[in-house]
Amino acid sequence: MAQALRLALERALPQAPSKRPGLPWQWLAALPVMLIFGPLLPGLYWALSPALDATVWQALWLDAQWPQALRSTLISSVLGTLLACGMAALLATLHYPGRLWGSLQRRLPLLLSVPHAAFAVGLFFLIAPSGWLARTIAHFVQWTGPPDWVTVQDPYGLSLALALAIKESWFLLWVLAAVLGEQAVSRQMVMGRSLGYSRTQTWRLILWPQLLPRLRWPVIAVFAYGLSVVDMAIILGPGTPPTLAALIWHWLTDPDPALQARGSAASMILLIVLLTCVLAVRGLLWLMKRHQPYPAGQRKPTASRRWLKLHTPLFLVGYAVVAVLLLWSVAQEWFFPALLPDALSLESWHQADWAPFWTTLWLAMAASLLCLPAVLVWLEWGPKRLNALLYLPLIVPALPLVAGQYATLLHLQLDGTAVALVWSHLLWVLPYMVLTLIGPYRAFDLRLMTSARALGYSPWRACLHVKWPILLRPILATLAVGFAVSVAQYLPTLFAAGGRFVTVTTEAVALSAGGNRRVLAVQALLQIALPMAAFGLAAAAAYWLGRHRKGLR
Amino acid sequence: MLNIKNLTISNAEKSLFSDLSLAIDRGAVVALTGVSGSGKSTLLNWMIGDLDPIFSATGELWLRSVRCDTLPIEARHIGLLFQDDLLFPHLSVGQNLAFALPAKIRDAKARRHRVEQTLSSIGLAGFHDRDPATLSGGQRARVSLMRTLLAEPRALLLDEPFSKLDAVLRTQFRAFVFEQIERQNIPTLLVTHDPADVPQGGRVIEISDWQHSHV
Repeated sequence: MAQALRLALERALPQAPSKRPGLPWQWLAALPVMLIFGPLLPGLYWALSPALDATVWQALWLDAQWPQALRSTLISSVLGTLLACGMAALLATLHYPGRLWGSLQRRLPLLLSVPHAAFAVGLFFLIAPSGWLARTIAHFVQWTGPPDWVTVQDPYGLSLALALAIKESWFLLWVLAAVLGEQAVSRQMVMGRSLGYSRTQTWRLILWPQLLPRLRWPVIAVFAYGLSVVDMAIILGPGTPPTLAALIWHWLTDPDPALQARGSAASMILLIVLLTCVLAVRGLLWLMKRHQPYPAGQRKPTASRRWLKLHTPLFLVGYAVVAVLLLWSVAQEWFFPALLPDALSLESWHQADWAPFWTTLWLAMAASLLCLPAVLVWLEWGPKRLNALLYLPLIVPALPLVAGQYATLLHLQLDGTAVALVWSHLLWVLPYMVLTLIGPYRAFDLRLMTSARALGYSPWRACLHVKWPILLRPILATLAVGFAVSVAQYLPTLFAAGGRFVTVTTEAVALSAGGNRRVLAVQALLQIALPMAAFGLAAAAAYWLGRHRKGLR
Repeated sequence: MLNIKNLTISNAEKSLFSDLSLAIDRGAVVALTGVSGSGKSTLLNWMIGDLDPIFSATGELWLRSVRCDTLPIEARHIGLLFQDDLLFPHLSVGQNLAFALPAKIRDAKARRHRVEQTLSSIGLAGFHDRDPATLSGGQRARVSLMRTLLAEPRALLLDEPFSKLDAVLRTQFRAFVFEQIERQNIPTLLVTHDPADVPQGGRVIEISDWQHSHV
């Protein structure tokens, strides 16, 4: 595999635009990326090759836990993805184009910056039998104790599906907003309607058939995430057996080599599930396209259902999650039916363990700052055709990748070191940063660079003095995204840190098993505060640095 | 007859037009000219029903004795042609036209026949199943106009429809458009910045005439 990658690199390199500098430059540009991806490949071999033994599969097949684990994983990931897609699609169809769509769009980044684990903790506080929701109902029906319902950690993974659906619907809405912002798309809506079709019909006949292929990768990323998510599954998912991803994690970290091999085999199952579902959906879309009838010209004046304010509950959950975490973090006593704590105190904050916070801070800063030059040289001089390869960690279940990273670190005897920890994060930080910056980078007016070159600047100096300063705003946003991605990492941190480093994310998940909601709320809030501070700082810095340059804003 | 009555459009900072009135008869072409940024597109967007919410407008739009400015885009029966052809890329050339064809032609065979007739009338016989992306700029422009006209609009708005074509193509397509409009006998408003785009005998209105006199 390592050789295949190298071959692919070699073949792609000379095809980069000819005006770019020669080969050594391109190798240099690809070097940081190879340092992140390269060591993973032997690791993947070491981690996954035990699964090549048939007896391992037999043992997996006979394992008592795995059928149920697979069931809850399938339910939570498939249902979560379908609901997320459905909600995002419904909201877009109802409100685009319109004033409300714009305001939805502006509120999304704030919600998106809430990390998955913190969101899961907050949702737990909302929907658990003793949560805010039950307390609200209790007020009307005079309950004296929490109802005897299973609303979280249910054996089917339904509460996990709900959490994934809400969290990922924000992400998909954000992706949709970016696509719908293009003039070509918005004009097609006007054109379709001017031919007499209603908004709903134009969405169905004109926009969706064009947008679906473009939404393919984001949706696959959502599904892959749901398949291999462990932190949310521990907080909201079933206990015994847990979801398949959590079970695989237990197996992979077991000292017994037989169980480790079982973990490798089961992580292959995740890959197979992903591939099967993706192929099934593609087949379905292909069939739908084939059986598309000849346009009948039927105009249906459908009543607009814009009064359906579905976005309200969807966004409210996000705010309620943060609110309930804040309340728990300052609650002293908060018995069941009470909607608000009986007494407030800052005790939990005074006694909070800040070590995870500082670890997360330096780790995320190191990861994002190290990635930035790699991203910049890759986008400027790197082989363009290999961008797809960079996105691989986003659309593949994380577990096999993490297992591969861990195997490499064990072989290099680097596990449990700070270097290993930072390196393990880069695999996800880098693709997200490339993804954030590639749009503005492509939209950059290249004539500005040509002008700089014509004035005698070398390519390197032209980048340094012209291109990158002009792109300062998206570059700062990219840094913030990289920081946020690092903060949210759970699996790589657990494996690479070898128990020596604790971040707010691993701490919050570990605390979720205990009973102290106050301490848990504090760590979850710290996990939210870090990315929010990063995004806030990036926006403020961009504003301040561009305060005398209207064209940069 | 297309009628704009006492139209005022303004945003928070200034008013673009005040008390604008205009009547266009059936079969007549009125050309609206003005420098870029003068508000031509805003006027057009208001007539379509797609005014940017940062603007507010008062006034009325009437088409064949029906008040249109309160109706949604799809109920106005106003056809549009932009400088980009905006053919739907996921449909074939023929399907693009069939999409516009009214539902009163019910049978799929009859619909396809009508579409193929239209295609051969504009010199594109046999293009039914082609991907719009494989057509030349001039061919796409013609298909785009026919798509708009097949929907049987009661008025036509043309937003710089010739500006992206090269000189030769431009002359040809211009003649083609006005020939088709004449056949349809509907009121047409043409927005352009090129005086050569105005057909013979067409009325020309300079947009600044409405702006300065009332500021």
